[in-house]
Amino acid sequence: MWRYLDGPHARPFAVLAACIMLLALVDGDNGRFLSAATAYSTLQTFATISLVTLGLGLTMMIREFDLSVVGMYGMAGCIAVLTGTHYPWFGLWFALAVGLIAGIVQGFIIVRLHLASVGVTLGGLLVFIGIAFVLTESRSLPYDNLGVALLLNERVGGIFSIRGIVALVFFAGAAAIFAWTRLGRDIIAIGSDRRAAMTTGVKVDTLIIGIFAFSGLCAALSGVLLSYSLASASPAGLSDVIAPAAAGAILGGVSLGGGSGRPLGIAAGALTLAVLRSGLNAVGAPPFVNDITMGAVLLTVAVLDGPYLARRLIEARRWARRALGA
Amino acid sequence: MQEVLSVRGVSKAYPGVTALEDVSLSLRPGEIRAICGENGAGKSTFVKILMGIVQPDSGSIDINGQTQVVRGPQQAQSMGLGLVAQELSLAPHLSILDNIWLGSAEVPFLHRRASFRVRAKQALETLGLTDWDLDRPVSSLTVGQRQLIEIARLLARDARVLILDEPTATLSDADIERILGILKGLRTQGRSIIYITHRLGEVFELCDSITVLRNGQHVATQPVSETTREGLVEMMLGRSFEDMYPKAPAHADQSVRVVVEGLDVPGTLNKFSMTAPRGRIVCIAGQIGSGANMVTRALAGLVPSATGSVTVDGRPMRLGSVPHAVARNVLFVSDDRAAEGLFPQMTVLDNLIATRLDASARMGVLSWPALRRMAASLAERVGVDRHRLKSQSIALSGGNQQKLLFGRALASADAGVLLMNEPTRGIDVGARAEIYRIMRELCDLGSTLIMTSSDLEEVVGIADIVITLYRGNVVARYEDEAIAMSSILADITHPTQAVA
Repeated sequence: MWRYLDGPHARPFAVLAACIMLLALVDGDNGRFLSAATAYSTLQTFATISLVTLGLGLTMMIREFDLSVVGMYGMAGCIAVLTGTHYPWFGLWFALAVGLIAGIVQGFIIVRLHLASVGVTLGGLLVFIGIAFVLTESRSLPYDNLGVALLLNERVGGIFSIRGIVALVFFAGAAAIFAWTRLGRDIIAIGSDRRAAMTTGVKVDTLIIGIFAFSGLCAALSGVLLSYSLASASPAGLSDVIAPAAAGAILGGVSLGGGSGRPLGIAAGALTLAVLRSGLNAVGAPPFVNDITMGAVLLTVAVLDGPYLARRLIEARRWARRALGA
Repeated sequence: MQEVLSVRGVSKAYPGVTALEDVSLSLRPGEIRAICGENGAGKSTFVKILMGIVQPDSGSIDINGQTQVVRGPQQAQSMGLGLVAQELSLAPHLSILDNIWLGSAEVPFLHRRASFRVRAKQALETLGLTDWDLDRPVSSLTVGQRQLIEIARLLARDARVLILDEPTATLSDADIERILGILKGLRTQGRSIIYITHRLGEVFELCDSITVLRNGQHVATQPVSETTREGLVEMMLGRSFEDMYPKAPAHADQSVRVVVEGLDVPGTLNKFSMTAPRGRIVCIAGQIGSGANMVTRALAGLVPSATGSVTVDGRPMRLGSVPHAVARNVLFVSDDRAAEGLFPQMTVLDNLIATRLDASARMGVLSWPALRRMAASLAERVGVDRHRLKSQSIALSGGNQQKLLFGRALASADAGVLLMNEPTRGIDVGARAEIYRIMRELCDLGSTLIMTSSDLEEVVGIADIVITLYRGNVVARYEDEAIAMSSILADITHPTQAVA
């Protein structure tokens, strides 16, 4: 039992459970936190950040880092709002195609020219933000198709929205790929030991490009869905996503060293952030407490995950067991 | 009997170096062939060509009687070749099962088929590992166990020719015995093995025949039964020593400068003690994993876990702190020039004076004229072209980079203690001679040199005192005339099977 709770893949769920319990405890029997309204708003927040977290998390899993998700997130929203007033599906597909192609181009540059991903995607980030400003002429754009906005935010089954469901479907798909397909093994192998993956015959370059394409796609999709549901897009307004995305990935068990972390863990990490944000709002905490709490939780997880302290803890546990046994 | 593998006239040249020249080899089913040779003899290039990692410039490869062009590792696998590389190629985050099938062309998109599990299980059983949990992550295995997984991977893919590149270099005795036993078992199944090793004991215990490479050329192929240990060593080295190595003049002052007592590094080095006199070159000889390079690294203050007592010129030196070692004038010249030695993007000038900035500064302001003069004279002393002072150090050849590092060490005013790992690794013969000359010059100035080397010819040629190490323990100490290739080789390969 202990073994399962203690494993690296269980950690994100343990953190999530702990946060939920803590908030429930703080709320007492006011019923503000454990309510359908809070659950709905949690899932809305989750829908906003989780897909970016997934894309970024996967790049981190293969020891890369896709900074451009922030820019793509904003730019895709602007593109969709500009092109999709009458045909929302066209706006969506167009923005997704842009995200996919931008990801492929960045991945291709990184692989072919043997460049560090941070530099390349930082370039991508600035370019995307710039394009968004040019496209919108530095204004905030209204999206006149309010029907789409209402549809996307409509509650399904009490606590879900279409946006949330899309995000959950993506995570389910990614989890299935990691659990049952060769693709998942190969991606983990690339992050775990790239040279080993190469020598055993894994198509490393193709997969790296694919991951960046997926990351671009995820960022574009969540940018589009958010802009549609807010019925507006602005080139600058959506930039506050990289910190939660990286935090969510790390809470989800992804390490910058590569190889660790799984899609369901990333989902739990993103959900943890969403729970903290909505939950603290629900119990009436002032807004800045949100950031402090997020930072504190992240720091705790990072410290607990550090190899030095982990080894000490294992030694202490062994010692305690021996002392108890004796 | 038909040959399972036949390589004919393979050559490969890299810019400036001929790695392999007209090398041929053929292998029968069930044969274990040792490939022996010094570092740089061309063994790794040969393996890379077999596995399709590197394409040969000329020559052909026949597999089961058919001429093949091997374009990559996956194709080599499909033709029945399998490699266990010197560095393990396992993904620690994945399970044993996933690692066994990693990268295999056979595995379909949907991975979880029972047949793969069964075949992986069978491969492990062939190795006598019946009770291993296939879902265990590889990160929880020891190095020896991981080596077995690598072999199991080849078996699961039904490799007919297994190429093992120094599979025992980092293993314990018990693990080595186990692997040798397993390989003998594979021979009886008709699988062929190409076995690359520095450990001559294993050659005579395991192999049927030996191919010796030297400087990229094929020297001889003969049955083990017709080979003696001395004969093999002679074939590997080939030539007598050129007058490449300047001998030590009888230095007047040979007082002891460095005393090491009970130097311990957990897991690699065990109660190492030695003394090093002024003006002499002490060489610690040992294979990878013997702990030889740990001695120099520990003395340089680079190993936090090192314990023991060290005195330099009669004063105690604390271990585990580089500034402290430098303060005692104990300087380290790394074998990893790119990562630990040079500032690659900085100029030759900046690199030469990097450790002397304090001496040429007044109240923190650098005196550039003085620094330039110093750099120019240092460059001259170590034989680096003065006109290259402004070029980026990364643009220099390996030999010149190494000279640069010596120059930096020379920059110290007093004769210090110089620690060097593999001072001539990756450096061609011409530059080597010059580096040996510089080393002697340093000795003449009263420096003490403590070096490690895996190149035995170099050890015998340059060292005044040789200390042999085997798995972290000192085997013997030789001085001057007592230094001989055969005894050193015997010591560092397998001390119990020393040549009589």
